[in-house]
Amino acid sequence: MARLVLERLDCWYGRTHAVDHIDLTVEDGELCVLLGPSGSGKTTTLRMIAGLVRPTGGEIYLDGRRITHLYPGQRGIGMVFQSYALYPHMTVREQLLFPLQAMRMGPAERQQRVQAVADLLHIGDLLDRYPSQLSAGQRQRVALGRALVRQPALLLLDEPLSNVDAMLREEVRASLRRLQQELRITTVYVTHDQVEAQALADKIVVMHQGRIQQVGSPQELYRRPANVFVAGFLGMPPMNFIEVEAISEGGTLVLRNRWLILPMPPEWRKDLPRALILGVRPEHLRVHPPREGDPMAAEVIVIEPHGHEMILHVRVHDHLLRCRADPRQLGFRPQPGDRVSISFNLQHIHLFDRTTEQRIA
Amino acid sequence: MAIRWVDGLKRGGVLVLAFVATAFFFLPLLWIVISSFKTQLDLFAIPPKWVFQPTLANYINVLRSDFRAQFANSMAVALASTLFSLLLGSLTAYGFSRYSLRGSSFIQFWILSLRFLPAVAVMVPFFLVFNALRLRDTLLVLFLVYNIFNISFAVWVLKAFFDEIPLELEEAAMLDGYSPLQVFLRVSLPLVRPGLVTTAIFCLIQSLNEFLLALALTVRAAETAPVGLAKLQTFLGTDWGRISAAGTLFMLPVVLFTILVRNELVRGMSFGRMK
Repeated sequence: MARLVLERLDCWYGRTHAVDHIDLTVEDGELCVLLGPSGSGKTTTLRMIAGLVRPTGGEIYLDGRRITHLYPGQRGIGMVFQSYALYPHMTVREQLLFPLQAMRMGPAERQQRVQAVADLLHIGDLLDRYPSQLSAGQRQRVALGRALVRQPALLLLDEPLSNVDAMLREEVRASLRRLQQELRITTVYVTHDQVEAQALADKIVVMHQGRIQQVGSPQELYRRPANVFVAGFLGMPPMNFIEVEAISEGGTLVLRNRWLILPMPPEWRKDLPRALILGVRPEHLRVHPPREGDPMAAEVIVIEPHGHEMILHVRVHDHLLRCRADPRQLGFRPQPGDRVSISFNLQHIHLFDRTTEQRIA
Repeated sequence: MAIRWVDGLKRGGVLVLAFVATAFFFLPLLWIVISSFKTQLDLFAIPPKWVFQPTLANYINVLRSDFRAQFANSMAVALASTLFSLLLGSLTAYGFSRYSLRGSSFIQFWILSLRFLPAVAVMVPFFLVFNALRLRDTLLVLFLVYNIFNISFAVWVLKAFFDEIPLELEEAAMLDGYSPLQVFLRVSLPLVRPGLVTTAIFCLIQSLNEFLLALALTVRAAETAPVGLAKLQTFLGTDWGRISAAGTLFMLPVVLFTILVRNELVRGMSFGRMK
């Protein structure tokens, strides 16, 4: 039962500002995913929470207790490393006993704890093996077991699925989530995989260049990205961005550039800055058979079939757009080189200020 | 079919070559062992006698002589120096491997440079210094001098082994509730065991074989076996039987130790087990 609070946490590596004054609260029992590209500061943040990296400034509180300067082993934290970091010279049983021996726990209780964790993770029949005799999935479970056997207040996971086969990953992901919900253990999970983040998280923290870009539920982040970075980072294929000018024409707001004229519904704010970025997800672009005189006439460049749907790469003037379409609802079968028309679903567009890259609407 | 035949020939050739090379290096050892069981007459028989009446006289002679004390001196100094070098060497190597230190590479080079010096170059200064300190002809002086090259050897070999251990293993142990010293003793040290064994063998052999400094710094009380053996060659003649018996006895500890730890030794010499 623990609530994790980071207060203006800051970290410099030499001249690199790895983590820039971040504030974050992870509620009791919550699974919080730190998501970002490599070098975004997510792993450094995790390592500061674990006590493996000394913060340059700021505080860390776990369950109201200030742990900023405590030794890693005194924080009541369990961690699973990306490489799993299993001790090569110990059997699985010894790995699980190892943290308990440090706690000076009686032998009977130790055995009991090991058995409980082994049952929980279904590694009971692996107890006498060495790490080199385990598969990647089994190693992951053993590493998780070693982190949990101390019954920590907080669980830290550093890209725990990156060494698991793609085929197994989904299964392991689901079991990880089920386990976390069963134990109701507060968890911080680092990944660069947005699919993983969306599948697992109660709360996603998107990081970039050492700063938190946005915090929210997976849906919130997908529906209302706070800036261009978040909008482009979440969603596969990524969002289309188009530079437009906001112009008032006869009382209605119009977004336009050389090839686009998009009159907005009357309820839209009129006081927009002039230079904007229009963001629209591939699934919110519609592809039609070509219409005469359409300024948004487009040429199909590539078609990627993805089973029940397809991704079309089209070119409008010099601009490439990605559209997602359901072949059965399209009504026609576009081929590369064909001309098509594109239309926008205005309810699902995002507008960002071109200078600050922050969300406007 | 033809390829398999050629392959077989190649492998056979390699085997024969390996056998010849091994025999070449092994023959002198065999010669010494055989000689140690021969009488003076048999020793000098030409052509050499392969079938003879073995005798233990040489061994009895050797064990009744000064060699017993010399052998004990050699073993005591070699073991003490090896253990001390492992202790200090592993701690130093671990420090260099895990902690950043101003001028670290310079200090490491300095430690290595202690091995550049040929023993002859330092023999006279050592003699003068230890004579002035009244430490000449003590086991302590040999222990001190042997540590110079053993420790520097241990530091360099063990550092390479510690560098191979992923840092995450130690971080995991820290999170498991162990202090830095406990992490060193319970995770890092067991993982470099092949390195420790390799280092130990080489330190042991180096210390047992050392001749020049032992000759210069000892007189009688701390005399070691190599010096004692050399003194069996006198102007009145050489007692090859005794030398052979003493040499055979002197080989035994290293041979036994090597057999005892052969698995670790192979791993240590071929390296890179961690990845």
